[in-house]
Amino acid sequence: MREAGAGREEPPFDALAADLGALFSRGIDAPLDDTAFDHWARRVFRWQFHHNPTYRGYCVGRGATPDSIGSWEEIPPVPTAAFKRLRLFSVEESKQPEAIFETSGTTLTEKKGEHWVASLALYQSALLPPFRAHLLPDGARFPVVALLPPPDQAPRSSLSRMIAAVHDTLGAEGGGFFGAPDGSIRDEALLGALLATVEAKQPVLVATTAFGLVHWLDTLMRGSVRLVLPEGSRMMETGGFKGRARAVSRAELYDGVHDALGLPADRIVNEYGMTEMLSQFYEPTLSEPLGPDLSERFHVAPPWVRTRVLDPVTLDPVADDQPGLLCHHDLANAGSVAAVLTEDMGVRLERGFRLLGRAPGAEPRGCSLATEELLESATMMRAARK
Amino acid sequence: MSAAFDGWVLPPGVLPARVSFAQAHGVRHPLLDPESARSLMDSLRTAREDALLRSSAAERARVLGRAGARFLDRSDPLRREAEEHVPATADLSLEMSRAVIDGMARDWTGDRLLQLLATDLPHPAALDRFVPSAGTGRVRGVAPALCFHVGAGTVPGVSATSMLRSLLVGSATLLKPGLGDVVLPVLLARAIAEESPTMAAALAVLYWSGGSDDHAESAALAAADTVVAYGSDATMRSLLDRMPADTPLIAYHHRIGVALVGRDALVERELDGVADELAHAVGMFDQRGCVSPHAVFVEQGGEVGAGELAAALARALARFHAALPPTPPSPALASNVHQLRRTAELRRASGEAVEVYAAQASGWTVLLEPHDAIEPSGPGRTVRIHPIEDAAQLPTLLAPIAHHLQTVGVAGLGERLENVARMLGGVGATRICPLSEVAFPPPWWHHDGKGPLSVLLRWVDLEGD
Repeated sequence: MREAGAGREEPPFDALAADLGALFSRGIDAPLDDTAFDHWARRVFRWQFHHNPTYRGYCVGRGATPDSIGSWEEIPPVPTAAFKRLRLFSVEESKQPEAIFETSGTTLTEKKGEHWVASLALYQSALLPPFRAHLLPDGARFPVVALLPPPDQAPRSSLSRMIAAVHDTLGAEGGGFFGAPDGSIRDEALLGALLATVEAKQPVLVATTAFGLVHWLDTLMRGSVRLVLPEGSRMMETGGFKGRARAVSRAELYDGVHDALGLPADRIVNEYGMTEMLSQFYEPTLSEPLGPDLSERFHVAPPWVRTRVLDPVTLDPVADDQPGLLCHHDLANAGSVAAVLTEDMGVRLERGFRLLGRAPGAEPRGCSLATEELLESATMMRAARK
Repeated sequence: MSAAFDGWVLPPGVLPARVSFAQAHGVRHPLLDPESARSLMDSLRTAREDALLRSSAAERARVLGRAGARFLDRSDPLRREAEEHVPATADLSLEMSRAVIDGMARDWTGDRLLQLLATDLPHPAALDRFVPSAGTGRVRGVAPALCFHVGAGTVPGVSATSMLRSLLVGSATLLKPGLGDVVLPVLLARAIAEESPTMAAALAVLYWSGGSDDHAESAALAAADTVVAYGSDATMRSLLDRMPADTPLIAYHHRIGVALVGRDALVERELDGVADELAHAVGMFDQRGCVSPHAVFVEQGGEVGAGELAAALARALARFHAALPPTPPSPALASNVHQLRRTAELRRASGEAVEVYAAQASGWTVLLEPHDAIEPSGPGRTVRIHPIEDAAQLPTLLAPIAHHLQTVGVAGLGERLENVARMLGGVGATRICPLSEVAFPPPWWHHDGKGPLSVLLRWVDLEGD
């Protein structure tokens, strides 16, 4: 085995990022077959192995090096929890991150996860084609109305950053960000903006977290406000179906959207993304006809992401119809770590996977203290002392 | 797969002829309507005088003890029934279930209950009559007429022990066990009924899925003179919201335990013994107990270091695993273990002083790492080993979890034991004990700082000569 980086002058990260950007810009319909994906995954792995000593040590400890692996599936994944403890940044020593994305902390966690982003241009080239394909398959340009804080107020929110890129690149005049960093929503301004689009018969694209949406629908209901968004309007909602306990089911939430905004479920696209990954998954709700049964929906990946479904105990791949832990391999993570082992369960389908949410069985049991409880009381104690 | 377990024992006549049943997690239980729920409370209250108060506390201890001792006899039909149903309902292996029943039932014998009376009360007869008080005059303990217990979780035996305590002091007793702890209290109640049908008239065990819309729960909270509850802070808040403001709630919150190994025990020849005791403390109840340690603090300066103890503990957990295996892990537990272990591997690769010792599958994990913060490790036989310079540092390190601290298992402190114990007590620990005793405290322990019987009582002073 060669020593890291020795003997050969490697092109810089920017060259790798440019090549990947070109690959992503071919769009989500340009296939990447097994051989091609393996080639790219190995190239990214070699880069990360050489430029991230922590990841290198981890891989060597697991007996995997760029020269020893038989295929991309043998590249050791890092657990999402590692982003809470470590800086997983795979670039030249002189290079600084262009952004730092932070996990939102929908659950009470002691430490927030951080994803250091080496190239925002690469991020943008990974996020736009799938968004366009799944939210704007008709090639339309709409004002983007986001129930999210603006990126200058939430510079560490990958979601705000992503929707800002969409707003600037794929959106039409108008729209804006109606959330605040504390999670609240500027209700009146948001309502005003939507009423204006209704008046102008201008369809809109609403981008929101499920959590923010639940609260805003409550507000609308309290004021007995009902809108019918213009024909062609659509919604991207994300998050909230894992981790935190929800007061409403997804069907109830979508019914609420239909009631309050006149937007039926077949105009709502769920996005599944995570701070630890720079690419996103979408349900192909708009791009192909799907039945009304929400439980039949599934997520698809862009060609530069592959997802394995692994047995929760052995981490061996499970049979096609069996649930397992989702382990993503995202080439857009070239500047951090491409292979990410999540805590989310899913089932592999012919065209993607069905997300089942957080692994079941995590509820605290027995009379032993659970982490969340300890953190909750610690938070309350801190608040009381302030 | 055995048939569903009938999760109730009710006095005769309470269950209406037409009643519907529900089933959860292998436990079948009747659904009481508001009227039968109220009639249950009345019937328990009415039975109390004849069932409990005509006998002395010592007599009650002997009756209850005869019933309890049956669970120590592996040939007894009730013990055999317990072994048949505890594993599936509590999600423990058969071997672990046996060990837990043995450990719990040890304290259900007449001798142990008599000792409990003698230890926790100023006078063993203080429940039967006025006894001389330490000051002037006399004193007598009065038990609540109806005591309602809300059990928790999946540590079998905790609910049964709680039920014995209130019967012993002379309270009519209604127990709603936790879903994973239904079997032992139901079988113990049956044993009590076989021993003394009269006494059993003041005892009911009934599982229901808890919450505000349950008739039995509403009736019990309204009728009880005292409520004893085990569970999370959220459970306590919910109960307090729904009970009369002047009904006392004796709350046993979720707790966290730790262990401390001093340098006197860190010698080569004692290493495996200490490690075996630690493995027993960590692994018993698959680490779900309030007593279960989640972190082990190891003093530096011994003949062997924290790393050697961690390696020895890993070997000991492997032996413990072979003798008392866990049940197959849930996807969440398995996932947590992968996240924890692999993050630790990455931390080690980044230069942190972290080592991971682990079973092939999710069975057990030992992490050697510098102390950062106390984190409950989840019920996966996962334990963190933290080197510390001196035992005297520990109280400060534990201060952030003071309100949740319970048991500190200790070894190798020599003459420093009392001083360290004083400091640990100062920050919130309520039990400092040898490592070998961590899993099963004696019946008279001050459970979360309170006398197990005396906490139930109201004291009546009779002044004058």
